[in-house]
Amino acid sequence: MTSIPNASQAAIIQDLADVIVANKAWLSEIDGKIGDGDHGSNMAKGFSRAADRIAGQDITLDAGLLVLSDVLMSEIGGSMGPLYGLMFADMAGAMQGHDRIDADLFSAALNAGLQAVQGVGNAKVGDKTLVDALAPAVAAFDAAMANGFAAALDDMAHAAEAGRDSTIDLVAKIGRSSRLGERSRGVLDAGATSCCLILTSLGQSVRTRLS
Amino acid sequence: MAPRLTNRQTEDNDAVIPLRFGDDPLLWASWLYYEEGLTQGAIAEQMGVSRPSVNAYLADARSRGIVNIDIAPDMFRTLTISVALRDHFNLQDCLVIPTHGDERSLIDRLGGAGAKVLARNLRSGDTLAVTWGRTVLSMADQISHPGLKDVRVVQATGGTTAQIPWTPEACASHLAKALNARAIPISAPAIVSSAKMREMLVRESVLAEQLGILAEADRIVMGISSLRPESTIHTSGFLEGGMQHSHYQDAVGSLTGRFISARGEPVIGPMHERTIGLGLDQLRAIPQRIAIAGGMDKVAAILAALRGGYVSILVTDIATGRGILNAEGYHDTTQRPTAQPDRALRPRTHVKKLINNPKDAVDETLRGAVLAHEHLIAPVPGSKRAIRAIDGPKPGKVAIVIGGGAGHEPAFWGYVGAGMADAAVVGNTFASPPPDPIIAATRAVDGGAGVLYIYGNFSGDVMNFGMAAEIMEAEGVKVRSIITTDDVASSPRETRSARRGVAGTVFTFKIAGAAAARMLPLETCEALAKHTNARTYTMGLALEPSSLPETRQPSFELGPDDMEIGVGVHGEPGVERRSVELADTCADLLLDRVLEEMPATEGDEVALLVNSLGSIPNSELYIVLRRVRQRLKARGIGVHCSYVGSYYTSLDMVGMSLSVLHLDSEIKSLLEHPCRSVVFSS
Repeated sequence: MTSIPNASQAAIIQDLADVIVANKAWLSEIDGKIGDGDHGSNMAKGFSRAADRIAGQDITLDAGLLVLSDVLMSEIGGSMGPLYGLMFADMAGAMQGHDRIDADLFSAALNAGLQAVQGVGNAKVGDKTLVDALAPAVAAFDAAMANGFAAALDDMAHAAEAGRDSTIDLVAKIGRSSRLGERSRGVLDAGATSCCLILTSLGQSVRTRLS
Repeated sequence: MAPRLTNRQTEDNDAVIPLRFGDDPLLWASWLYYEEGLTQGAIAEQMGVSRPSVNAYLADARSRGIVNIDIAPDMFRTLTISVALRDHFNLQDCLVIPTHGDERSLIDRLGGAGAKVLARNLRSGDTLAVTWGRTVLSMADQISHPGLKDVRVVQATGGTTAQIPWTPEACASHLAKALNARAIPISAPAIVSSAKMREMLVRESVLAEQLGILAEADRIVMGISSLRPESTIHTSGFLEGGMQHSHYQDAVGSLTGRFISARGEPVIGPMHERTIGLGLDQLRAIPQRIAIAGGMDKVAAILAALRGGYVSILVTDIATGRGILNAEGYHDTTQRPTAQPDRALRPRTHVKKLINNPKDAVDETLRGAVLAHEHLIAPVPGSKRAIRAIDGPKPGKVAIVIGGGAGHEPAFWGYVGAGMADAAVVGNTFASPPPDPIIAATRAVDGGAGVLYIYGNFSGDVMNFGMAAEIMEAEGVKVRSIITTDDVASSPRETRSARRGVAGTVFTFKIAGAAAARMLPLETCEALAKHTNARTYTMGLALEPSSLPETRQPSFELGPDDMEIGVGVHGEPGVERRSVELADTCADLLLDRVLEEMPATEGDEVALLVNSLGSIPNSELYIVLRRVRQRLKARGIGVHCSYVGSYYTSLDMVGMSLSVLHLDSEIKSLLEHPCRSVVFSS
């Protein structure tokens, strides 16, 4: 298949929340090296609350993403609240009203999400933020679309992982860890790590439903 | 100490009870069995009685309370069903008991389990609301918790028909008696004949007072009713007459006499306006909500209550629990606990904290702060994370809204009051508040002359306050934002605008508050706040890291002889690490960095803030202040005032910061302007 239905996809959000909750301790540990160590617990709180809210509901993927966005924006705060909140809101916006999600629409959603993050956060690739995972992943997806939806999702996941790992050698230019200068080098960025988890989980969910 | 026994036996095997047991064979048998660990056969031999007698003695000893066998709720909790329920529904806790056990009915065993859970959670001084029904009454009749003081037990609803033994009055009075608590009735029927009657009754002072106490409940213990004909809600006289059913066809269960749908949403019918008692919104606002309910007929009702978020602790049985989970599509094999990082090598696994549930820490702190300073501050209605000044808003005055993450107490509510900020907004620990409470605070204090936001330069705060400002501007409120950047360590002079806003921010709060109190226009207040921020310099150091309530782990590692220079206020590491020096050397280190940047000449004046980052003793702050004063005196710089203590903390960080405000005549006059807030008062 070359597309998945938009309807009845609450499970994708549930799976996403499960992945974030399962990696709560890891995310906090990474964050603790150059931040205050609460990224995992804040993310887990937001994603599991969203999952609770849609539990038992039969909703479209865009509606599920919108619930996630609402919870992150209105209850979690911090910098991840608006960044992921707006990212999911704009991804949902791109999907809204469509019966099926194909590679073109998924690309549109990814690009909308990336623009939302860059619009509110002003980060560029190389600043040691979630953009280091997100931007190359979106580019990789777009580049591989000609080979089919599934192939593009695979490339997206690989690029997200490579982007996440690239943050180890970077010096933070933006956000709280930027004040550490050279001392921020040598550890993963927590935002890039969580973003990679989000993209790989989403990609995996869509890929399973394609086959 | 073993009791001397055997040599006291007489020839005819007629045992003499050792003195310590008085003449109580039950106590003697219990001692031998539970303390000495003897078998019942050995005890029979020692006591000179038959084995069945020993068995009977032990059973008697249990029923008479000589021996208490406690099965700790912790052990039950480990059962997979309770863990799955807790995790799936985000419960504070869950206790699941076997569906089939001793000869007691399920209701009585649930009541017994509920009694254990309530006894564990109840604290002296609590106001406990209670509903009615068979399970609740059974719980009330089984609970025992001596030693509690000043507990109030309040009925959650008015009264019902007296044709059932488990009326609201009976449940509340039994429970109050068992807990040696004061019973507060609701002196009205739960259902009255008309909405108009309800309106009249709730205005009666006796009832209003009782409902007021109900609104203060810290906990509620409640049953969950199905809507079957024999259910509590039916037998209590609700839903009388067939016509009611058409209004409640979407309802699957009832809580506190209110009806909910399968998704947990309120089902509003003709009874709604005629019911006297706790509403569903009020119920959800009670910090701890213990529900005791079981039986397959109640699965749908309990599930609905869980989905609606009405329950924080659930007591149920295995069959019911499994039924609920099955309805949610849960399969035993998919849930595995996530691996915890291995901390076995550390001598200590966590930092000690005086907290309850970590997730409640921020709200409980705020509640305490508002109570401690109720003459100065109050929550903005409907938004517990937004705090406003008691007096205000003042028409025509620029309103000041400040804020940031929690963990900086007494920031930010400590700077709210007359001549200071009009409102403060607090997020989660070390995380910016989201736009919603900022907007609520803005609306609450806007006096028509514009609003000035003041917050530290952190990306989360910049985004969230920025979004709030955009939304308020769209509503026609003029908003200006001051992003403070006083932390010298965080960025070089050339990129001052990238610096963090830390303890020196309190000077900007004070000056902006004074400017607004003088009824200066928004643009002037903004300019003065900017001016103050530009003249404020802060440097901090830490001897030990802080730790978050959620993780209880140090936020960074510091060697036994190390200190961290240039720390921020969120437990993030600083810019440089070196060996701990003498206090004077440290004071010099901080002051020298400030003096490098501050263009002060002889005869200039400054205001000083020697601030604790949470856990450093005041005595050490004064040692540092003394040195800073010596140095400034030697340089010919006057000190107009010195503030020493906890002004802007970083949870439990052992550390301090030095802030210097380079005064000019205008700032000095605003600094002296009278104000009345928790921290600054003059």
